[in-house]
Amino acid sequence: MSETALPAAARPRKPRPRLGSYVLVVGLACFTVFAARQIDFRWSSFVDMWTNPLWGRFWPVPWDWVLNRRNVFDALIETFQIAIISTIVGCSLALPIGFAMSKLTSPNAPTFWFTRIVMNIVRAIPDLLWGKLLVTAIGIGAFAGTWALTIFSLAVMVKLFSETVDAADPLPLEAARAAGGRHTPAVRTAVLPEVFPAYVAYALYVFELNIRASLVLGLVGAGGIGRIVETQRSTFNFDRLLGILIIMFVIVVIIEQFSVAIRKRLV
Amino acid sequence: MTDTAVELPNDAEQPASRPEPPPGARNWRLGIALVLVVAGVWSWTGLDATLQDVLEAPGKALDIVKEMWPPAFKAVIDRGAVGKIFESLYVAWIGTMIGAIISFPLSFLGANNVAPVALRVPIRLLFNAIRAVPELIVAMLLITVVGLGPWAGALAIGLHSVGTLGKLSTEVIETSDEGPLEAISAAGGNWVEKMRWGMVPQVLPTVVGYWLFRFEINVRASAVLGLIGAGGIGGELVSQLNFRNFPEVGAVLLMVITMVLVIDTISGFARRRIIAGSGRKIDDDETSRTVGLIGDLGGSGLT
Repeated sequence: MSETALPAAARPRKPRPRLGSYVLVVGLACFTVFAARQIDFRWSSFVDMWTNPLWGRFWPVPWDWVLNRRNVFDALIETFQIAIISTIVGCSLALPIGFAMSKLTSPNAPTFWFTRIVMNIVRAIPDLLWGKLLVTAIGIGAFAGTWALTIFSLAVMVKLFSETVDAADPLPLEAARAAGGRHTPAVRTAVLPEVFPAYVAYALYVFELNIRASLVLGLVGAGGIGRIVETQRSTFNFDRLLGILIIMFVIVVIIEQFSVAIRKRLV
Repeated sequence: MTDTAVELPNDAEQPASRPEPPPGARNWRLGIALVLVVAGVWSWTGLDATLQDVLEAPGKALDIVKEMWPPAFKAVIDRGAVGKIFESLYVAWIGTMIGAIISFPLSFLGANNVAPVALRVPIRLLFNAIRAVPELIVAMLLITVVGLGPWAGALAIGLHSVGTLGKLSTEVIETSDEGPLEAISAAGGNWVEKMRWGMVPQVLPTVVGYWLFRFEINVRASAVLGLIGAGGIGGELVSQLNFRNFPEVGAVLLMVITMVLVIDTISGFARRRIIAGSGRKIDDDETSRTVGLIGDLGGSGLT
Protein backbone atom coordinates (compact mmCIF):
# COMPACT_ATOMS: atom_id res chain seq x y z
CA MET A 1 0.00 0.00 0.00
CA SER A 2 2.56 2.51 1.05
CA GLU A 3 4.72 1.77 -1.98
CA THR A 4 2.20 2.97 -4.55
CA ALA A 5 3.48 6.27 -5.92
CA LEU A 6 1.26 9.20 -5.19
CA PRO A 7 0.00 10.99 -8.29
CA ALA A 8 1.92 14.29 -8.73
CA ALA A 9 2.16 15.07 -5.00
CA ALA A 10 -1.16 16.70 -4.32
CA ARG A 11 -0.64 19.36 -1.69
CA PRO A 12 -2.98 19.05 1.27
CA ARG A 13 -5.64 21.68 1.02
CA LYS A 14 -5.06 24.69 3.22
CA PRO A 15 -7.74 25.04 5.88
CA ARG A 16 -9.90 28.06 5.13
CA PRO A 17 -9.63 30.87 7.68
CA ARG A 18 -12.72 31.29 9.76
CA LEU A 19 -15.19 34.06 9.05
CA GLY A 20 -14.23 35.63 12.36
CA SER A 21 -10.63 36.06 11.21
CA TYR A 22 -11.75 37.96 8.11
CA VAL A 23 -13.99 40.19 10.19
CA LEU A 24 -11.14 40.86 12.62
CA VAL A 25 -8.60 41.73 9.92
CA VAL A 26 -11.00 43.96 7.99
CA GLY A 27 -12.17 45.57 11.22
CA LEU A 28 -8.61 46.34 12.36
CA ALA A 29 -7.70 47.69 8.92
CA CYS A 30 -10.73 49.99 8.95
CA PHE A 31 -9.89 51.11 12.46
CA THR A 32 -6.31 51.87 11.41
CA VAL A 33 -7.43 53.96 8.44
CA PHE A 34 -10.00 55.76 10.56
CA ALA A 35 -7.47 56.46 13.32
CA ALA A 36 -4.91 57.68 10.79
CA ARG A 37 -7.42 60.15 9.36
CA GLN A 38 -8.38 61.35 12.82
CA ILE A 39 -4.81 62.34 13.67
CA ASP A 40 -3.88 63.87 10.26
CA PHE A 41 -1.59 61.06 9.11
CA ARG A 42 0.64 62.49 6.34
CA TRP A 43 2.98 60.43 4.20
CA SER A 44 4.92 63.60 3.41
CA SER A 45 6.15 63.81 7.01
CA PHE A 46 8.35 60.77 6.47
CA VAL A 47 10.28 62.90 3.94
CA ASP A 48 10.00 66.28 5.69
CA MET A 49 11.43 64.66 8.80
CA TRP A 50 14.85 64.45 7.15
CA THR A 51 14.82 67.66 5.10
CA ASN A 52 13.69 70.04 7.81
CA PRO A 53 15.70 73.31 7.42
CA LEU A 54 15.78 73.58 11.23
CA TRP A 55 18.19 70.66 11.49
CA GLY A 56 20.95 72.99 10.26
CA ARG A 57 20.62 74.93 13.51
CA PHE A 58 21.47 71.85 15.57
CA TRP A 59 25.07 71.96 14.37
CA PRO A 60 27.85 72.58 15.37
CA VAL A 61 27.50 71.63 19.03
CA PRO A 62 29.03 74.26 21.35
CA TRP A 63 30.93 71.74 23.45
CA ASP A 64 32.54 74.35 25.71
CA TRP A 65 29.05 75.45 26.79
CA VAL A 66 27.73 71.90 27.13
CA LEU A 67 30.69 70.60 29.11
CA ASN A 68 30.77 73.62 31.40
CA ARG A 69 30.10 72.38 34.90
CA ARG A 70 27.39 74.87 35.78
CA ASN A 71 25.32 74.49 32.64
CA VAL A 72 24.69 70.77 32.33
CA PHE A 73 26.72 68.77 34.81
CA ASP A 74 24.89 69.87 37.96
CA ALA A 75 21.51 69.07 36.51
CA LEU A 76 22.82 65.72 35.38
CA ILE A 77 23.94 64.92 38.94
CA GLU A 78 20.45 65.83 40.12
CA THR A 79 19.01 63.39 37.57
CA PHE A 80 21.16 60.62 39.01
CA GLN A 81 20.23 61.51 42.55
CA ILE A 82 16.53 61.40 41.73
CA ALA A 83 16.89 58.02 40.03
CA ILE A 84 19.04 56.49 42.78
CA ILE A 85 16.94 57.50 45.73
CA SER A 86 13.63 56.62 44.09
CA THR A 87 14.98 53.22 43.06
CA ILE A 88 16.24 52.47 46.57
CA VAL A 89 13.04 53.57 48.31
CA GLY A 90 10.66 52.15 45.68
CA CYS A 91 12.36 48.76 45.52
CA SER A 92 12.68 48.41 49.30
CA LEU A 93 8.95 49.03 49.71
CA ALA A 94 8.27 46.65 46.85
CA LEU A 95 9.65 43.65 48.73
CA PRO A 96 6.92 43.36 51.39
CA ILE A 97 4.18 44.70 49.11
CA GLY A 98 5.18 42.31 46.33
CA PHE A 99 4.84 39.38 48.74
CA ALA A 100 1.45 40.69 49.84
CA MET A 101 0.34 40.83 46.20
CA SER A 102 1.10 37.20 45.38
CA LYS A 103 -1.46 34.44 45.95
CA LEU A 104 1.32 32.24 47.31
CA THR A 105 2.58 34.51 50.06
CA SER A 106 -0.23 36.95 50.78
CA PRO A 107 -1.08 36.96 54.50
CA ASN A 108 -4.83 37.19 53.84
CA ALA A 109 -7.39 37.87 51.11
CA PRO A 110 -8.18 41.51 52.00
CA THR A 111 -4.47 42.47 51.87
CA PHE A 112 -4.11 40.61 48.57
CA TRP A 113 -6.99 42.40 46.87
CA PHE A 114 -6.33 45.79 48.41
CA THR A 115 -2.66 45.94 47.37
CA ARG A 116 -3.44 44.48 43.97
CA ILE A 117 -6.18 46.99 43.13
CA VAL A 118 -4.28 50.01 44.47
CA MET A 119 -1.08 49.06 42.64
CA ASN A 120 -2.90 48.47 39.35
CA ILE A 121 -4.45 51.92 39.57
CA VAL A 122 -1.11 53.52 40.46
CA ARG A 123 0.54 51.79 37.52
CA ALA A 124 -2.17 53.00 35.14
CA ILE A 125 -0.95 56.60 35.58
CA PRO A 126 2.29 57.06 33.61
CA ASP A 127 5.43 58.30 35.40
CA LEU A 128 5.41 61.77 33.88
CA LEU A 129 1.78 62.35 34.79
CA TRP A 130 2.77 61.47 38.37
CA GLY A 131 5.52 64.03 37.97
CA LYS A 132 3.14 66.71 36.79
CA LEU A 133 0.60 65.88 39.52
CA LEU A 134 3.19 65.97 42.30
CA VAL A 135 4.74 69.17 41.01
CA THR A 136 1.31 70.74 41.41
CA ALA A 137 0.81 69.18 44.83
CA ILE A 138 4.19 69.77 46.52
CA GLY A 139 5.93 72.32 44.33
CA ILE A 140 8.40 72.49 41.47
CA GLY A 141 11.73 70.72 41.88
CA ALA A 142 13.62 67.50 42.25
CA PHE A 143 11.71 66.58 45.40
CA ALA A 144 8.45 66.17 43.49
CA GLY A 145 10.24 64.22 40.79
CA THR A 146 11.68 61.85 43.38
CA TRP A 147 8.24 61.19 44.81
CA ALA A 148 6.82 60.57 41.36
CA LEU A 149 9.50 58.06 40.40
CA THR A 150 9.36 56.37 43.80
CA ILE A 151 5.63 55.80 43.45
CA PHE A 152 5.88 54.64 39.87
CA SER A 153 8.88 52.36 40.35
CA LEU A 154 7.13 50.80 43.34
CA ALA A 155 4.14 50.03 41.14
CA VAL A 156 6.22 48.54 38.32
CA MET A 157 8.42 46.60 40.70
CA VAL A 158 5.59 44.95 42.63
CA LYS A 159 3.98 43.79 39.41
CA LEU A 160 7.14 42.12 38.13
CA PHE A 161 8.11 40.78 41.52
CA SER A 162 4.72 39.43 42.57
CA GLU A 163 4.45 37.51 39.31
CA THR A 164 7.81 35.90 40.01
CA VAL A 165 6.63 34.97 43.50
CA ASP A 166 3.48 33.49 41.98
CA ALA A 167 5.64 31.19 39.89
CA ALA A 168 7.88 30.17 42.82
CA ASP A 169 7.95 26.62 44.15
CA PRO A 170 5.24 26.31 46.88
CA LEU A 171 6.69 23.21 48.54
CA PRO A 172 9.40 24.83 50.71
CA LEU A 173 6.76 27.21 52.06
CA GLU A 174 4.51 24.29 52.89
CA ALA A 175 7.39 22.61 54.67
CA ALA A 176 8.17 25.75 56.65
CA ARG A 177 4.53 26.06 57.68
CA ALA A 178 4.30 22.38 58.56
CA ALA A 179 7.33 22.86 60.80
CA GLY A 180 5.37 25.53 62.64
CA GLY A 181 6.86 28.69 61.09
CA ARG A 182 4.84 31.86 61.41
CA HIS A 183 3.92 33.67 58.20
CA THR A 184 6.75 36.19 57.87
CA PRO A 185 9.66 33.90 58.88
CA ALA A 186 8.25 31.13 56.68
CA VAL A 187 8.13 33.41 53.64
CA ARG A 188 11.56 34.81 54.41
CA THR A 189 13.27 31.43 54.67
CA ALA A 190 11.27 29.42 52.12
CA VAL A 191 10.40 31.83 49.32
CA LEU A 192 12.77 34.79 49.50
CA PRO A 193 15.97 32.86 48.63
CA GLU A 194 14.34 31.51 45.48
CA VAL A 195 13.06 34.83 44.16
CA PHE A 196 15.84 37.13 45.38
CA PRO A 197 18.01 36.96 42.23
CA ALA A 198 14.98 37.94 40.15
CA TYR A 199 14.27 40.74 42.60
CA VAL A 200 17.75 42.18 42.14
CA ALA A 201 17.47 41.84 38.36
CA TYR A 202 14.15 43.71 38.38
CA ALA A 203 15.60 46.37 40.66
CA LEU A 204 18.36 47.01 38.14
CA TYR A 205 15.78 47.15 35.37
CA VAL A 206 13.71 49.64 37.38
CA PHE A 207 16.85 51.72 37.95
CA GLU A 208 17.30 51.82 34.19
CA LEU A 209 13.68 52.92 33.75
CA ASN A 210 14.16 55.58 36.41
CA ILE A 211 17.27 57.00 34.73
CA ARG A 212 15.36 57.25 31.47
CA ALA A 213 12.35 58.82 33.16
CA SER A 214 14.39 61.26 35.23
CA LEU A 215 16.05 62.56 32.08
CA VAL A 216 12.69 63.88 30.91
CA LEU A 217 11.04 64.67 34.26
CA GLY A 218 12.36 68.21 34.00
CA LEU A 219 10.02 68.86 31.09
CA VAL A 220 7.18 69.00 33.62
CA GLY A 221 9.19 70.91 36.21
CA ALA A 222 10.23 67.94 38.33
CA GLY A 223 13.97 68.53 38.32
CA GLY A 224 16.96 66.98 36.60
CA ILE A 225 18.50 67.49 33.20
CA GLY A 226 15.10 67.80 31.51
CA ARG A 227 14.88 71.27 33.06
CA ILE A 228 17.89 72.37 30.98
CA VAL A 229 16.45 70.69 27.87
CA GLU A 230 13.23 72.63 28.33
CA THR A 231 14.99 76.01 28.76
CA GLN A 232 17.24 75.52 25.76
CA ARG A 233 14.32 74.40 23.62
CA SER A 234 12.14 77.34 24.55
CA THR A 235 15.00 79.73 23.78
CA PHE A 236 15.67 77.95 20.46
CA ASN A 237 19.29 77.06 21.28
CA PHE A 238 19.07 73.90 19.24
CA ASP A 239 22.85 73.40 19.04
CA ARG A 240 23.11 73.29 22.84
CA LEU A 241 20.07 71.00 22.88
CA LEU A 242 21.81 68.51 20.61
CA GLY A 243 24.86 68.52 22.88
CA ILE A 244 22.69 67.68 25.90
CA LEU A 245 20.86 64.99 23.95
CA ILE A 246 24.15 63.36 22.97
CA ILE A 247 25.21 63.25 26.62
CA MET A 248 21.84 61.76 27.63
CA PHE A 249 22.19 59.20 24.88
CA VAL A 250 25.64 58.11 26.04
CA ILE A 251 24.45 57.79 29.65
CA VAL A 252 21.45 55.66 28.72
CA VAL A 253 23.59 53.35 26.59
CA ILE A 254 26.26 52.93 29.28
CA ILE A 255 23.76 52.28 32.07
CA GLU A 256 21.88 49.80 29.94
CA GLN A 257 24.99 47.82 29.00
CA PHE A 258 26.02 47.75 32.62
CA SER A 259 22.63 46.63 33.89
CA VAL A 260 22.15 44.02 31.17
CA ALA A 261 25.57 42.53 31.96
CA ILE A 262 24.74 42.18 35.65
CA ARG A 263 21.24 40.87 34.99
CA LYS A 264 22.57 38.20 32.66
CA ARG A 265 24.80 36.90 35.44
CA LEU A 266 21.95 36.93 37.95
CA VAL A 267 19.22 35.06 36.11
CA MET B 1 30.57 10.90 58.30
CA THR B 2 29.76 8.24 60.86
CA ASP B 3 30.46 10.66 63.69
CA THR B 4 27.70 13.01 62.68
CA ALA B 5 25.28 10.15 62.20
CA VAL B 6 25.94 8.98 65.73
CA GLU B 7 25.78 12.42 67.27
CA LEU B 8 22.52 13.39 65.63
CA PRO B 9 20.18 12.06 68.32
CA ASN B 10 22.02 14.05 70.98
CA ASP B 11 21.83 17.22 68.95
CA ALA B 12 18.14 16.78 68.26
CA GLU B 13 17.33 18.11 71.72
CA GLN B 14 18.60 21.52 70.76
CA PRO B 15 17.52 23.36 67.63
CA ALA B 16 19.99 22.54 64.86
CA SER B 17 22.25 25.49 64.25
CA ARG B 18 22.05 26.95 60.79
CA PRO B 19 24.99 26.34 58.49
CA GLU B 20 27.26 29.36 58.31
CA PRO B 21 27.15 31.19 54.99
CA PRO B 22 30.51 31.13 53.20
CA PRO B 23 32.70 34.02 54.47
CA GLY B 24 32.97 35.62 51.04
CA ALA B 25 29.19 36.02 50.76
CA ARG B 26 29.05 38.09 53.93
CA ASN B 27 31.71 40.50 52.67
CA TRP B 28 29.83 40.87 49.40
CA ARG B 29 26.59 41.62 51.19
CA LEU B 30 28.25 44.17 53.44
CA GLY B 31 29.93 45.78 50.46
CA ILE B 32 26.72 46.07 48.47
CA ALA B 33 24.80 47.39 51.47
CA LEU B 34 27.51 49.99 52.02
CA VAL B 35 27.38 51.11 48.38
CA LEU B 36 23.60 51.43 48.56
CA VAL B 37 23.73 53.43 51.79
CA VAL B 38 26.41 55.77 50.46
CA ALA B 39 24.55 56.26 47.18
CA GLY B 40 21.31 56.88 49.05
CA VAL B 41 22.83 59.42 51.42
CA TRP B 42 24.65 61.21 48.61
CA SER B 43 21.41 61.41 46.61
CA TRP B 44 19.55 62.66 49.63
CA THR B 45 21.95 65.58 50.13
CA GLY B 46 21.35 66.65 46.53
CA LEU B 47 17.60 66.78 46.91
CA ASP B 48 17.62 69.81 49.14
CA ALA B 49 14.72 68.50 51.18
CA THR B 50 14.36 68.34 54.95
CA LEU B 51 12.77 65.51 56.90
CA GLN B 52 9.87 67.84 57.49
CA ASP B 53 9.31 68.13 53.74
CA VAL B 54 9.17 64.37 53.48
CA LEU B 55 6.67 64.09 56.30
CA GLU B 56 4.50 66.88 54.94
CA ALA B 57 4.47 65.68 51.32
CA PRO B 58 1.91 62.86 51.72
CA GLY B 59 -0.41 65.28 53.53
CA LYS B 60 -0.14 67.82 50.74
CA ALA B 61 -0.77 65.14 48.13
CA LEU B 62 -3.75 63.89 50.09
CA ASP B 63 -5.21 67.41 50.29
CA ILE B 64 -5.15 67.58 46.51
CA VAL B 65 -6.76 64.18 46.20
CA LYS B 66 -9.50 65.38 48.55
CA GLU B 67 -10.05 68.45 46.40
CA MET B 68 -10.47 66.21 43.36
CA TRP B 69 -13.59 64.71 44.86
CA PRO B 70 -16.23 64.69 43.47
CA PRO B 71 -14.76 64.51 39.95
CA ALA B 72 -16.33 67.02 37.55
CA PHE B 73 -17.06 64.67 34.68
CA LYS B 74 -19.65 66.94 33.12
CA ALA B 75 -17.29 69.90 32.78
CA VAL B 76 -14.48 67.94 31.11
CA ILE B 77 -16.82 65.99 28.84
CA ASP B 78 -18.28 69.31 27.68
CA ARG B 79 -14.72 70.34 26.79
CA GLY B 80 -14.36 67.25 24.61
CA ALA B 81 -12.32 65.05 26.93
CA VAL B 82 -13.87 61.87 25.54
CA GLY B 83 -12.66 62.83 22.09
CA LYS B 84 -9.20 63.48 23.55
CA ILE B 85 -9.15 60.03 25.16
CA PHE B 86 -9.90 58.50 21.77
CA GLU B 87 -7.27 60.72 20.19
CA SER B 88 -4.72 59.24 22.61
CA LEU B 89 -5.83 55.77 21.57
CA TYR B 90 -5.49 56.63 17.87
CA VAL B 91 -2.02 58.07 18.49
CA ALA B 92 -0.95 54.90 20.30
CA TRP B 93 -2.46 52.63 17.65
CA ILE B 94 -0.95 54.42 14.65
CA GLY B 95 2.38 54.68 16.46
CA THR B 96 2.35 50.95 17.11
CA MET B 97 1.42 50.25 13.47
CA ILE B 98 4.28 52.43 12.18
CA GLY B 99 6.67 50.70 14.57
CA ALA B 100 5.45 47.22 13.65
CA ILE B 101 5.49 47.74 9.89
CA ILE B 102 8.97 49.25 9.82
CA SER B 103 10.56 47.00 12.45
CA PHE B 104 9.28 43.64 11.19
CA PRO B 105 11.24 43.42 7.93
CA LEU B 106 14.27 45.13 9.50
CA SER B 107 14.42 42.60 12.33
CA PHE B 108 15.11 39.79 9.83
CA LEU B 109 18.10 41.74 8.59
CA GLY B 110 19.31 42.26 12.15
CA ALA B 111 19.17 38.66 13.41
CA ASN B 112 22.53 36.91 13.67
CA ASN B 113 21.27 33.53 12.46
CA VAL B 114 19.79 34.71 9.15
CA ALA B 115 21.53 37.97 8.20
CA PRO B 116 25.11 38.71 7.11
CA VAL B 117 27.32 40.74 9.46
CA ALA B 118 27.47 43.69 7.09
CA LEU B 119 23.71 44.16 7.44
CA ARG B 120 23.02 43.15 10.98
CA VAL B 121 25.59 45.33 12.72
CA PRO B 122 24.29 48.66 11.36
CA ILE B 123 20.68 47.58 11.89
CA ARG B 124 21.27 46.62 15.51
CA LEU B 125 23.08 49.90 16.07
CA LEU B 126 20.07 51.68 14.61
CA PHE B 127 17.67 49.84 16.96
CA ASN B 128 19.83 50.58 19.99
CA ALA B 129 20.30 54.21 19.05
CA ILE B 130 16.57 54.76 18.60
CA ARG B 131 15.80 53.03 21.88
CA ALA B 132 18.14 55.27 23.82
CA VAL B 133 16.27 58.49 22.98
CA PRO B 134 13.12 58.99 25.08
CA GLU B 135 9.83 59.31 23.18
CA LEU B 136 9.20 62.69 24.70
CA ILE B 137 12.44 64.04 23.25
CA VAL B 138 11.66 62.57 19.83
CA ALA B 139 8.24 64.21 19.95
CA MET B 140 9.78 67.51 20.99
CA LEU B 141 12.07 67.46 17.95
CA LEU B 142 9.34 66.30 15.58
CA ILE B 143 7.02 69.10 16.64
CA THR B 144 9.44 71.48 14.93
CA VAL B 145 8.91 69.51 11.70
CA VAL B 146 5.24 68.50 11.58
CA GLY B 147 3.80 71.06 13.97
CA LEU B 148 1.86 70.69 17.22
CA GLY B 149 -0.78 68.00 17.31
CA PRO B 150 -1.44 64.28 17.50
CA TRP B 151 0.45 63.42 14.31
CA ALA B 152 3.77 64.50 15.87
CA GLY B 153 2.98 62.26 18.84
CA ALA B 154 2.09 59.27 16.67
CA LEU B 155 5.23 59.69 14.61
CA ALA B 156 7.39 59.95 17.74
CA ILE B 157 5.82 56.85 19.27
CA GLY B 158 6.19 55.06 15.94
CA LEU B 159 9.89 55.88 15.63
CA HIS B 160 10.62 54.87 19.20
CA SER B 161 8.66 51.63 18.73
CA VAL B 162 10.82 50.75 15.72
CA GLY B 163 13.76 50.51 18.11
CA THR B 164 12.07 48.54 20.87
CA LEU B 165 10.04 46.23 18.63
CA GLY B 166 13.04 45.71 16.37
CA LYS B 167 15.19 44.57 19.28
CA LEU B 168 12.54 42.19 20.60
CA SER B 169 11.64 40.71 17.19
CA THR B 170 15.32 40.18 16.41
CA GLU B 171 15.70 38.22 19.63
CA VAL B 172 12.65 36.09 18.79
CA ILE B 173 14.12 35.30 15.37
CA GLU B 174 17.46 34.42 16.91
CA THR B 175 15.93 31.86 19.27
CA SER B 176 13.83 30.17 16.57
CA ASP B 177 14.18 26.58 15.34
CA GLU B 178 16.60 26.07 12.42
CA GLY B 179 14.90 22.89 11.17
CA PRO B 180 12.29 24.47 8.89
CA LEU B 181 14.93 26.75 7.33
CA GLU B 182 17.18 23.79 6.56
CA ALA B 183 14.27 21.91 5.03
CA ILE B 184 13.49 24.80 2.71
CA SER B 185 17.16 25.16 1.71
CA ALA B 186 17.23 21.42 0.97
CA ALA B 187 14.16 21.80 -1.22
CA GLY B 188 15.92 24.59 -3.13
CA GLY B 189 14.30 27.63 -1.58
CA ASN B 190 16.11 30.98 -1.64
CA TRP B 191 16.58 33.38 1.28
CA VAL B 192 13.21 35.13 0.88
CA GLU B 193 11.35 31.83 0.63
CA LYS B 194 13.19 30.54 3.68
CA MET B 195 12.07 33.57 5.66
CA ARG B 196 8.54 33.56 4.36
CA TRP B 197 7.78 29.84 4.85
CA GLY B 198 10.33 28.80 7.47
CA MET B 199 10.69 31.79 9.77
CA VAL B 200 7.58 33.96 9.67
CA PRO B 201 5.16 31.18 10.73
CA GLN B 202 7.42 30.35 13.67
CA VAL B 203 7.92 33.82 15.04
CA LEU B 204 4.70 35.60 14.12
CA PRO B 205 2.64 34.68 17.23
CA THR B 206 5.34 35.87 19.63
CA VAL B 207 6.11 38.96 17.58
CA VAL B 208 2.44 39.95 17.39
CA GLY B 209 2.30 39.41 21.14
CA TYR B 210 5.09 41.95 21.48
CA TRP B 211 3.24 44.37 19.19
CA LEU B 212 0.23 44.21 21.46
CA PHE B 213 2.42 44.61 24.52
CA ARG B 214 4.01 47.65 22.92
CA PHE B 215 0.53 49.00 22.19
CA GLU B 216 -0.23 48.84 25.91
CA ILE B 217 2.96 50.77 26.65
CA ASN B 218 2.23 53.26 23.87
CA VAL B 219 -1.21 54.01 25.29
CA ARG B 220 0.54 55.22 28.45
CA ALA B 221 3.13 57.11 26.40
CA SER B 222 0.47 58.86 24.34
CA ALA B 223 -1.26 60.01 27.51
CA VAL B 224 2.04 61.67 28.47
CA LEU B 225 2.79 63.25 25.09
CA GLY B 226 0.02 65.78 25.56
CA LEU B 227 2.24 67.40 28.20
CA ILE B 228 4.34 68.92 25.43
CA GLY B 229 1.50 69.54 22.98
CA ALA B 230 1.66 66.35 20.95
CA GLY B 231 -2.05 65.60 21.15
CA GLY B 232 -4.27 63.43 23.29
CA ILE B 233 -5.60 63.58 26.81
CA GLY B 234 -2.33 64.77 28.40
CA GLY B 235 -2.90 68.32 27.14
CA GLU B 236 -6.28 68.45 28.83
CA LEU B 237 -4.78 67.23 32.10
CA VAL B 238 -2.04 69.86 31.97
CA SER B 239 -4.37 72.76 31.32
CA GLN B 240 -6.69 71.69 34.13
CA LEU B 241 -3.73 71.26 36.49
CA ASN B 242 -2.30 74.64 35.57
CA PHE B 243 -5.58 76.32 36.42
CA ARG B 244 -5.78 74.15 39.54
CA ASN B 245 -9.28 72.93 38.65
CA PHE B 246 -8.93 69.87 40.81
CA PRO B 247 -12.40 68.31 40.33
CA GLU B 248 -11.74 68.42 36.57
CA VAL B 249 -8.27 66.95 37.10
CA GLY B 250 -9.84 64.11 39.06
CA ALA B 251 -12.28 63.41 36.24
CA VAL B 252 -9.52 63.38 33.59
CA LEU B 253 -7.32 61.15 35.74
CA LEU B 254 -10.14 58.65 36.22
CA MET B 255 -10.69 58.63 32.47
CA VAL B 256 -6.98 57.98 31.83
CA ILE B 257 -6.93 55.16 34.40
CA THR B 258 -10.04 53.60 32.84
CA MET B 259 -8.58 53.83 29.35
CA VAL B 260 -5.29 52.22 30.38
CA LEU B 261 -6.94 49.43 32.37
CA VAL B 262 -9.47 48.65 29.61
CA ILE B 263 -6.75 48.50 26.94
CA ASP B 264 -4.52 46.36 29.18
CA THR B 265 -7.35 43.90 29.72
CA ILE B 266 -8.33 43.62 26.05
CA SER B 267 -4.75 43.41 24.86
CA GLY B 268 -3.76 40.93 27.57
CA PHE B 269 -6.67 38.72 26.54
CA ALA B 270 -5.67 38.96 22.87
CA ARG B 271 -2.04 38.15 23.68
CA ARG B 272 -2.94 35.05 25.64
CA ARG B 273 -5.35 34.00 22.91
CA ILE B 274 -2.64 34.38 20.23
CA ILE B 275 -0.03 32.43 22.17
CA ALA B 276 -2.26 29.76 23.68
CA GLY B 277 -4.67 29.34 20.74
CA SER B 278 -8.44 28.98 20.97
CA GLY B 279 -8.68 25.33 21.97
CA ARG B 280 -6.60 25.18 25.11
CA LYS B 281 -7.63 26.60 28.40
CA ILE B 282 -5.34 29.18 29.94
CA ASP B 283 -3.50 27.22 32.62
CA ASP B 284 -1.04 27.96 35.35
CA ASP B 285 1.63 28.63 32.77
CA GLU B 286 -0.05 31.93 32.13
CA THR B 287 1.77 33.76 34.88
CA SER B 288 5.18 32.42 34.00
CA ARG B 289 4.55 33.31 30.39
CA THR B 290 3.69 36.86 31.31
CA VAL B 291 6.82 37.02 33.40
CA GLY B 292 8.78 35.67 30.46
CA LEU B 293 7.31 38.23 28.15
CA ILE B 294 7.95 41.11 30.50
CA GLY B 295 11.28 39.80 31.78
CA ASP B 296 12.53 39.67 28.21
CA LEU B 297 11.78 43.32 27.73
CA GLY B 298 15.14 44.33 29.15
CA GLY B 299 15.55 48.01 28.52
CA SER B 300 12.66 48.37 26.17
CA GLY B 301 10.80 50.55 28.64
CA LEU B 302 7.89 49.17 30.55
CA THR B 303 6.49 52.65 30.91
